[in-house]
Amino acid sequence: MVFDFFYHLQDTDLYGLKRIYTNVISCKLLVISMRSYDIFFFGALFFLLGVLVASVGVKAGALWLFLALELGCAVAWTFFERIPSRFQWRIARKGWLAMAALLILLPAGALYYTQDDRNFRAARLPTGKASFSGVVADDPKHSGTSQEAVLALAAPYTGNVLLRLRSYPVVTYGDELAVSGAVEPPAPAGYARYLTKERVSGVVAFPEFSVKGSGHGSRVRAFLFDVRHHVTAAFARMLPPEEAAFLGGITLGERSELSKEFKESLQKSGTTHIVALSGYNITIVAWAAMGAFVFFLRRRWAFALTVLTILGFVLMTGGEASVVRAAIMGGLLLIAREAGRRYRIRNAVALAALVMVLANPKVLMFDVGFQLSFLALLGIACLRPALGAFFKIPEGSGFLSWRDNLMTTTSAQLAVVPLLITSFSGFSPLSLIANVLVLELIPLTMGVGFIAALLAAAGEYLVLVCGWLAWVLLRFEIGVIKFFGSISLQFAPAMSVWLIVVYYAALVGFIIYVKRHTRRARAA
Amino acid sequence: MLKGIRAALARHKNKAIILLAAVAVLDALLIAQIGALHSGHASLAISFLNVGQGDATLLVFPTGVKMLIDGGPLDGRVLTELAKILPPTDRYIDLVVMSHPQVDHFGGLIEVVKRYRVGAFLMSARVSEAAAFAELEKALAERGVRTVTLGMGDAITNGGTEASVLSPTTALLTSKETNDACVVMEVLSEGITSLFTGDIGGKAEAALLPLITRRIDILKVPHHGSKYSSGAAFLNAVHPALAVIEVGKNSYGHPAHETLARLASVGARVFRTDEGSVTVTPHGESLQIFQ
Repeated sequence: MVFDFFYHLQDTDLYGLKRIYTNVISCKLLVISMRSYDIFFFGALFFLLGVLVASVGVKAGALWLFLALELGCAVAWTFFERIPSRFQWRIARKGWLAMAALLILLPAGALYYTQDDRNFRAARLPTGKASFSGVVADDPKHSGTSQEAVLALAAPYTGNVLLRLRSYPVVTYGDELAVSGAVEPPAPAGYARYLTKERVSGVVAFPEFSVKGSGHGSRVRAFLFDVRHHVTAAFARMLPPEEAAFLGGITLGERSELSKEFKESLQKSGTTHIVALSGYNITIVAWAAMGAFVFFLRRRWAFALTVLTILGFVLMTGGEASVVRAAIMGGLLLIAREAGRRYRIRNAVALAALVMVLANPKVLMFDVGFQLSFLALLGIACLRPALGAFFKIPEGSGFLSWRDNLMTTTSAQLAVVPLLITSFSGFSPLSLIANVLVLELIPLTMGVGFIAALLAAAGEYLVLVCGWLAWVLLRFEIGVIKFFGSISLQFAPAMSVWLIVVYYAALVGFIIYVKRHTRRARAA
Repeated sequence: MLKGIRAALARHKNKAIILLAAVAVLDALLIAQIGALHSGHASLAISFLNVGQGDATLLVFPTGVKMLIDGGPLDGRVLTELAKILPPTDRYIDLVVMSHPQVDHFGGLIEVVKRYRVGAFLMSARVSEAAAFAELEKALAERGVRTVTLGMGDAITNGGTEASVLSPTTALLTSKETNDACVVMEVLSEGITSLFTGDIGGKAEAALLPLITRRIDILKVPHHGSKYSSGAAFLNAVHPALAVIEVGKNSYGHPAHETLARLASVGARVFRTDEGSVTVTPHGESLQIFQ
């Protein structure tokens, strides 16, 4: 999250795009001229708003909101001349008409969500203790004493259930299982919401089961999961368990191996995002793939293969929200570059959110990872420049540019504070220090991890040497995380919807204030 | 020219610092590695690992050769315990011994075999039908680990250390009770005798009696301190100075108070792994115990 693709472009300066990027960031907040890109942005925005209103569960809420906004457009259109010109958002009068037309996407979004939810609820599950079969639909998660697999039920049933199984025999993606057990509705409510988002309708705890066949899944996914298993196995061979698990988290977002205590340390020190995949992983993969392919192939082919590699990486790591978002935005950036078109971060964000919500409308409301990822991104994209200007901090300043890291961390954390308080244990101000200390070394650690993964194919001894270097870095990072996890000062006041609204309004106000101020200073 | 270098250094000060730090760290690591190669372990160390309800014991011989007897249950706690003892760059275990194919003894070995390079895997001819055991066999085959079958009368010698297999006999190997088929090892090193008994019960203990020719200094108490093991006759013959019970949270009532009383009556000092891993090293004429 914090290590976001677009932020890191500043460091890596992938193809000299830094200038374009800063221009995009500094574009005026609300200049609505209703060009094609505005039409797309507002269309997507209204659609997402519709999905959001529907997923909150207010009946006919979308319709009322639609009517209210239509009325607003009509009023604005009528009294357009009276809006004082010192506001930046003077828009052509026909812009309001276009806006009114686009608003139709709001109820469309609500309808899309409702329809999808209806389909989900229509799943036919076995009742009572029953025998059923199905195919393992995802890469099962293994913990020490059990494994969890999502089973896509076969006829006469439909829908997905989560199987909690004893450790052995090991089940893998694409296995056909015959199961005999009772499907229970998931509990408690929070977990049920999470499973709903994962499109799982029920849970079967430790049933009798047998593996009937294998290879029923997609060949490509099976291959990519296999690659991932080989990489984590290589890490496990070269490092002690704690370090290996952490490296797996950093490079592949693999969290099942992390111990419960360590996950708690991550959360309390505000560093969990390090083991979630994000733009930074995509940047490294894209950078390495492009570098390798350009060496052998024509540019256009290298580009196509790089996009395919990114796609493969996302599939391999199981399509976590933050990495899908980063991949869509990164892919768009590459395409914009190849096509010689301008890249607008605003529209890239909208596109990423739209694609993800179309694929699964439940992520908007029920996927905390999705929310964290987008809020942090907005924080880095909008708040960070404002903070930099406000405190007059030059780019890349400080030892190992620690001020940059501090600002990025601060802006991302500020953007997600309400979510951390409502969804997790709270927010620790010390997390800023923990992040600055750890984040500096994460890129290097990740790099060593990926090199080790590549060398693992070549031979065991080469990997061991990588392991020594990785161990030093990982030990330090784990030490910092555990230290800050143990002394965390959790700040968790009671939150209400209004407080959250006021909080974000204040952040937006701050950004607008700084922009005005710097513009005036520049003009003077 | 010096000026140029100085200017370049000033410009890339941060990078230079990182580079120097990295070189220093790698040098230190390399020296540590070379040092580890030369010193080896000066003396014997036996660690009874706190792996919950199950057995796992790591022996490091004076030559530095490592032998792991059993790996505890499936949750893989043995890995964390091993990581506390072995240096982080040491990914090799010379010998892994499985006393018998029960999951609280071999469960953790699946991950050990997957994660460490293992010189040889030693076990009796007794196998199991359990799904987890099939996974262990699969891991051994995939990693190309040599497996050696042990039985009574076999011995392993390394430097001045001798590990003799006292059990199972053919009769015990085919016993209905899996616990009777345990590999029992007597290890003599640096003048210290230790006995590793797996989960043996009365029947196997009786068979052992004629084979115990000298007093045992360190006894791994059989079967987590079960009341059906560590019979009075056996304990009198062994007469341990130190008895270690490898036990964790369980519903079997291990260790039984009858067993604890019998151990006390022969004058053994008792240590339990559920209070933390126990490491024993010789110190002159006496034993040093760390917990």
